[in-house]
Amino acid sequence: MKATRVFQLTALALVLVSLVQVGWWLFDQRAYTIEKVDAARRAYNEQAAAAQALLDSGTSAAQVEALLPAIVVREGHAALVPEIETRLRTEERRRINQYAWEGAFFLFALALCIAVIAGALRAERRVREEQESFLALVSHQFKTPLASLQLSLETLALRAPEPAQARKLIDRMLADLARMELMVTQILESARLERGRVELRSEPIELAGAVQRVVSQLEERARAQRIAISSEIAPGLKVLSDPLALDVVVRNILENALSAVSGGGSIALAAQSGNGEVELAVRDSGVGFEPKDGARLFEKFTRLNSAGGHYGTGLGLFIVRRLMELARGRVSAHSDGIGRGARFVLTWPAAARESPP
Amino acid sequence: MNLKVQNAPRVLVVEDDPHLAAGVVENLRAEGYEVSSARDGEEAHRWLRGAPCDLIVLDVMLPGLDGFGLCQMLRSEGNNTPVLFLTARGDPADRVRGLEAGGDDYLAKPFHLEEFLLRVRAILRRWEWYRAASATQATAVLRFGGNEVDFRAFHAQTWNGESQELTEKEAMILKVLAEHSGEIVSREDLLERVWGYDVFPSTRTVDNFILRLRKRFEKDPANPRHFLTVWGVGYRFLSEGEP
Repeated sequence: MKATRVFQLTALALVLVSLVQVGWWLFDQRAYTIEKVDAARRAYNEQAAAAQALLDSGTSAAQVEALLPAIVVREGHAALVPEIETRLRTEERRRINQYAWEGAFFLFALALCIAVIAGALRAERRVREEQESFLALVSHQFKTPLASLQLSLETLALRAPEPAQARKLIDRMLADLARMELMVTQILESARLERGRVELRSEPIELAGAVQRVVSQLEERARAQRIAISSEIAPGLKVLSDPLALDVVVRNILENALSAVSGGGSIALAAQSGNGEVELAVRDSGVGFEPKDGARLFEKFTRLNSAGGHYGTGLGLFIVRRLMELARGRVSAHSDGIGRGARFVLTWPAAARESPP
Repeated sequence: MNLKVQNAPRVLVVEDDPHLAAGVVENLRAEGYEVSSARDGEEAHRWLRGAPCDLIVLDVMLPGLDGFGLCQMLRSEGNNTPVLFLTARGDPADRVRGLEAGGDDYLAKPFHLEEFLLRVRAILRRWEWYRAASATQATAVLRFGGNEVDFRAFHAQTWNGESQELTEKEAMILKVLAEHSGEIVSREDLLERVWGYDVFPSTRTVDNFILRLRKRFEKDPANPRHFLTVWGVGYRFLSEGEP
């Protein structure tokens, strides 16, 4: 903030000094040019006077004209060739114009430099502000599981609970620790994604198989929560993406759906292709969200509702969005309202279908 | 604490994090309070309409209507239930915001269980005192200099016929001063009786509240006749007015 102010004042001073300097320089050059042109004019006038003297002393007009090429003799009077005055005037104007253009160009170049530097400073400040707000958000996100952890520990210390109650507290603490660990992993991951330090491959991936792998890993959890996962993806449908990124994206979306449906329900996956793209829709019968919040879901640390009682870090969907953008795809979320389920749509560029050998 | 269940103070815990909410609720129950919980501001607001309580433990960062918003809403509806804010943001600016929103106390996460329980007890004790001190017909109403203050309704009729709603803190300060009418009450005493010691960083807050009381009740707030400053010590309240 202070540095910006100093820069603004310095730039202003620089522009003012330069304006005065250029103004003075222009004035000086103009005066110099006029003075020189006047001197030349005086010299020509002296030539004309000399020619007149020669004529008066009896030298022939032809001789005078041969001797002094700038002089014409008309009816016994010596005068300057008319073009000379025109040339002098033109030269004077040309010089003054040249200086004006040079001065203006110098000022323009200076203004351009200042604008470029100011732009760079502004961009840097924006980055710094974003980092600061990110840090504030991160530390804020950590405080809730930390508070829960501390509360459980202090409860154990203060109340010496029965074994069953103690077990419950310990499970709660372990879950809090797991949540914090997940947050650390996701924060590092999202920071890496944000700086664009991720080299993603782009290769054809069979969507049905990739999705099935993720689903099979989550099946046990789904069974425990009485959630049915159905999948309708035509075999042979291929997308262009990084295999790891696709795995992370599908897993995040599915875990999100599992949390949203925590009390039992269904999750349906369906894929379709068209316009050189492949679309995977994940529909759940869970808590849903206000339709207007669809875009906000993918921002950092957005946790819209806790009605499902799940622990989001607020980073999962942000990571999904970044990964999809890097894979030249996109993601969107739709819901008819709270309690009415949600639909997440992932879109990748399609890979050419495998041609028969 | 040995509290009979029928008389147990009722506490509403508003916290969106299920673990933290469970921990707070269990501990308050173990202390003998009657505890309910809500997951967000709207749910809490609905709950409070049906069942009054003695204390709200309120998380600031809630989905939808946040803690500050809920507290302000309650106060504007004339609900003076004491509020203990829990928040992950512990910086002073936030603390001041919470107290301005009408909160009674403010605890930054993560907090110590025993400190939390102490603060809950302190807030309830202060309110118990206030209620006891306004229980009879004689103590419920204070008349001075043409003003009439109803401590139970947090309502005042001022000397110029204006009708004014008092905030709980204003009413409590007035109560403390009226109980010691004619005596000098130090700023520290006021702080302890009304807020508990460590909520505010300075005693200047008390001065601000006295200024507000003067503006409400003095005919000439610049030359107060009822709320007198005792330089370097505190304040003295005169119900008859300074001669």
